[in-house]
Amino acid sequence: MESLYKFFENNSLYIVLVINLLIWFGIFFFMQRVEKKLTKLEKEIKSE
Amino acid sequence: MTKNKIYQYLLLVLMILVISLSFLPKIALDPKSFFEFPLIPGLEDKARIIFFHVPTALITVIAYLISMAYGIKFLRKNNMEDDIKSVSAASLGLMFCILATITGSVWAKFNWGSFWHWDPRETSIFILLLIYGAYFALRSAIENPEKRAKLSSVYSIIAFLTTPFFIFIMPRMMIGLHPGSLEIDAQSGQIVKSANTVIEFKMAPNMRVVFFLSMFTFTMLYFWMWNLTSRFLILKNKISSSKE
Repeated sequence: MESLYKFFENNSLYIVLVINLLIWFGIFFFMQRVEKKLTKLEKEIKSE
Repeated sequence: MTKNKIYQYLLLVLMILVISLSFLPKIALDPKSFFEFPLIPGLEDKARIIFFHVPTALITVIAYLISMAYGIKFLRKNNMEDDIKSVSAASLGLMFCILATITGSVWAKFNWGSFWHWDPRETSIFILLLIYGAYFALRSAIENPEKRAKLSSVYSIIAFLTTPFFIFIMPRMMIGLHPGSLEIDAQSGQIVKSANTVIEFKMAPNMRVVFFLSMFTFTMLYFWMWNLTSRFLILKNKISSSKE
């Protein structure tokens, strides 16, 4: 763990990489959730 | 796994690849491998921003083009769904336009000295913000849905006719800070075409791969966002019309 912290302290650019990837995962899984809810609702409306 | 899920997971993987490839390669004076970007004095590590800032501007143009295409489709067939797709494309385009302006402004602060210079490209993206802001002002001013759809379709056509000029032509015709604009040659004092034109695109080959991959991936992301917003608005329209 300590060596990982030391690595990020000396190469701070990779902190930006990790944050960027985290943001992307957040956006992606949010959009997948929206898609699931939308398809469920569309099926419901269609079956009425 | 359905076809759509395959595309979604492909987008996930591609974006992870784009983000990793923009941060992992080191910047070197004399790049020897694929994983080394050339050092541009003054830019150094900030060069990586190009992989995120330029795609937002590209998506703006693509979104506005799609808004015009569905505007034309609505005028031909009078199907409200086409108008809904046109609005959702324009609203996503406006969002990416705002993002392009803000990311460019922040980058400009650290590379050119201040947040805003009225550089030709900065001015033209600002004008596009105004043009498409006016599109939404127009829409909110009309009550009748059919009339609103007709007028905004016509406006989206006129608005997109100006867009290629503002994004591709005007910045290359004037002296400016962005690469691709005209420059004043240091020795002769004459106005010359920039060394970095569209045709002799002078980005390093490994950077070019990541650059085009990033533009493709953001385009995929845009189409998914447009698909979701269109379906949502169409559904909302269906529900509210069935309630009446």
